[in-house]
Amino acid sequence: MTLPRRKLGGRQRYLFGSYAVSRTLAGAVCTNALFFFTGHSSGQDHSSDLADLSIEQLMNESVTSVSKKETPLNDAPAAISVITADDIDRFGIMSIPEALRLVPGMDVARIDGDHWAISSRGFNFPFADKLLVLIDGRTVYTPASGGVFWQAQDIVLEDLDRIEVIRGPGATLWGANAVDGVINITTKSAKDTQGFMMSTAFGTEEMPTTSLRYGGRLADNVYYRVYGKFFNRDGFDTGGGDDWSAERGGFRVDWEPSHETNFTLQGDYYKSDADKLFTKIRFNPPSTILTDAEEHNTGADVLGRWTQAFSKESSLTLQTYFDHVEQSDGFALEHRDTFDIDFQHRFALANINDIVWGGGYRFTTVKSDPSPNLVWTPNVSRLHLFNLFVQDDITLVPDRLHLTLGSKFEHNSITGFEIAPSARLVWTPSDQQTVWAAVSRGTATPSLFSLKSRLNLAAFQPPFSPPIVISEFGNPNLVAEKLIAYEIGYRIRPTKQLSFDVATFYNQYDDLITATPDPTGFETDPAPPHVLISTTEHNALSGETYGAELSSQWEVMSNWRLVGSYSWLHMHLHPDPSTEQDSPQHQFQIRSYLDLPHNIELNASIAYVDTISPLAAGTRVPISSYVRGDLGIVWHPNKSIEVGVWGQNLFQDRHAEFNSIADPNQVEIPRSVMGKITVCF
Amino acid sequence: MVTRKKAVLNQKPPSPRRFLRFALLKGAVALSCVFPVLAAKPLHGQARVPKEYQLKAAFLYNFAKFVQWPDKSFSDTTSPFVIAVLGRSPFGDELEKAVQGRTANGRAIIVKQVQNIGAAHAVQLLFVPAADDSRLNELKDICQAQGILVVGESASFVKRGGMIAFKVEGDNLRFEVNTSAAEGAELKFSAQLLKLASNVR
Repeated sequence: MTLPRRKLGGRQRYLFGSYAVSRTLAGAVCTNALFFFTGHSSGQDHSSDLADLSIEQLMNESVTSVSKKETPLNDAPAAISVITADDIDRFGIMSIPEALRLVPGMDVARIDGDHWAISSRGFNFPFADKLLVLIDGRTVYTPASGGVFWQAQDIVLEDLDRIEVIRGPGATLWGANAVDGVINITTKSAKDTQGFMMSTAFGTEEMPTTSLRYGGRLADNVYYRVYGKFFNRDGFDTGGGDDWSAERGGFRVDWEPSHETNFTLQGDYYKSDADKLFTKIRFNPPSTILTDAEEHNTGADVLGRWTQAFSKESSLTLQTYFDHVEQSDGFALEHRDTFDIDFQHRFALANINDIVWGGGYRFTTVKSDPSPNLVWTPNVSRLHLFNLFVQDDITLVPDRLHLTLGSKFEHNSITGFEIAPSARLVWTPSDQQTVWAAVSRGTATPSLFSLKSRLNLAAFQPPFSPPIVISEFGNPNLVAEKLIAYEIGYRIRPTKQLSFDVATFYNQYDDLITATPDPTGFETDPAPPHVLISTTEHNALSGETYGAELSSQWEVMSNWRLVGSYSWLHMHLHPDPSTEQDSPQHQFQIRSYLDLPHNIELNASIAYVDTISPLAAGTRVPISSYVRGDLGIVWHPNKSIEVGVWGQNLFQDRHAEFNSIADPNQVEIPRSVMGKITVCF
Repeated sequence: MVTRKKAVLNQKPPSPRRFLRFALLKGAVALSCVFPVLAAKPLHGQARVPKEYQLKAAFLYNFAKFVQWPDKSFSDTTSPFVIAVLGRSPFGDELEKAVQGRTANGRAIIVKQVQNIGAAHAVQLLFVPAADDSRLNELKDICQAQGILVVGESASFVKRGGMIAFKVEGDNLRFEVNTSAAEGAELKFSAQLLKLASNVR
């Protein structure tokens, strides 16, 4: 398993423009990948806008009512991308982290079979703490280790509605830790997943993965689905272990008594186990032992949501959930229970203000069992988080110029009061062009790990000397990390077939948490007496990062589409620049979507990731740049069957993408081949 | 406000025109109660085509994209893609707006109104509004022979040999397809289209 590192957080929520929100939260209301709902809009439904939608999206439009206010993705004052179920289907993607590779500028590095390091705009790490992730409105960020247990996050990918990704701060709406990005994963309404579906994938890694879902109707306007998903996956670690198996199941019920009212109730249960190699630290000789360590993740959650629209401009959403998580590996055991309740209300004022405001409370208890490598003091924490936010989208010139002002006010048990204001200006000089600029502040709350843990990194026994132990200490006096981000973006659609999107940013970070060396000491407890070389977490790092993400879509022909992106990142951290090496400077990808006769789709992608040099057991070990090539064919012989074959990572036998701290082997991702059959009726 | 709005929505529109009048009237009344400012603004100059037909227009454009026509349907490689509406068009100018500046099968799209099937030559997609539904029998053979995709909106349209028919399910639009009728006209539905169709015969 990989190491938790220093930081925390745990706030969530809502896309910039409010009305993303009601939909994102409401999930059930509509599935509309191309549209990101900002408060403003051009008002009416235009046939020419509707014609931009896919058939699937059109099928979700209401025939009787005017659509909720919505603005095309094109007019959003933020760097936003959307991944659809179609993308996932075409590229044979089998997990949420792998899907994120499709996002321009997103840094997705697979550490081993079931671990990923994922971040946007720098600071990548197995527990990257500046990225907030939500699944159907429920945060999956862990305030204990400060990051996301990606191995525990999964859904039946056939039931995915979309993944919305915002690069850059989203703290005004989502709160702490939405510093460098927000990922919003939403599944379809039960109404849109009716009938039986089964998919099975076999391959060199999938042995196999099976998803089952059944959707039905309980009464008029009450729909449900139940699902199960099971997999065995082959390990990547040539040193042994890394095999991964998981099972999960759940349900979702959507009740729409009227077009304005939606109720959703959903729940999940999962269990995931993986074999890992783990270096156990001992104070007595032998000082390190390489052992097998089973890694277990289990969890369950239940969520309820009520959305009520009052008019085109006004709506209310109330959501509450309970989430239980257990995670154990060689390092530690974490039990976490979270209760969360949120509301948000949106309304129009004096014709030019589109206001959304809301608030919430979250209570989290975390219990950690110590291990020889990691000790928490105290080992039980209770965290309260209160938040209030308000955002106003002001129409300065109708359809042309909008200003969005807002702020989050948050109080957490760790650092107290935090605020996250932002100002966003979007100018739409013509229907083909959009220019936006934003200044925003975000904060990352330190994780419990960085506040109160002791991590033993290494131990050795020199001749004629007491043992030497190398440790990292948390610091209860840490304050939140701060970011001021300046962003400018431009989108142009010169023709209906071609579009470009550029987002640039300049980020100023302060009070970044980093481990700084302590004077060498001598410790008698725990026994035996030993020399202690240690570091302690301090808010001792600051820095600037800047970069750009360029993406483009080209519909070459009606049956052939190309999507490309390039991202560039420069980090300048001081006084210790070493963290700069965690994230690639250049990334590039191009994907081709080709529809052939006889209902065959041929899809291909090439991706380049620059060199990095992340930590591996205390030292930085370089990972060479790599080019990844994927190719897949999907055939739909008829409406209810889909057959696909994919080759992934075709260019190399194996390549490494990141280092693991606990496992001395650098795990490499092998070339793989997979076939999948999906049946629905 | 809430209840008024609901009343508007729960009313099944007996016909597009009545629905329009009704919606405009009730909408204006409801709005003027709550938002005098908004109500002072004209709702919109021109009569509005119901959302249902705006959606159907967008669907027709998608059908043009996701169906493959045989070469014989076009007189030459530069001839446009023609969508014809039989009889009285329920679309207003929404269909023109939907396809403006777009292409299908690499061809510019134009919209025509035709009064009878004799006038429908050099057409690739023919929409048969509910009012003219009974004319399907007289025109389906000609459409098959000429490779014309016939799209209708009545419940039995597909059963009687139409190729695609819209149907309203709850609050959403769905469509059924008849692949054998389409094959007779040498038309090929894409997998995506078939996947989304609520019924394939």
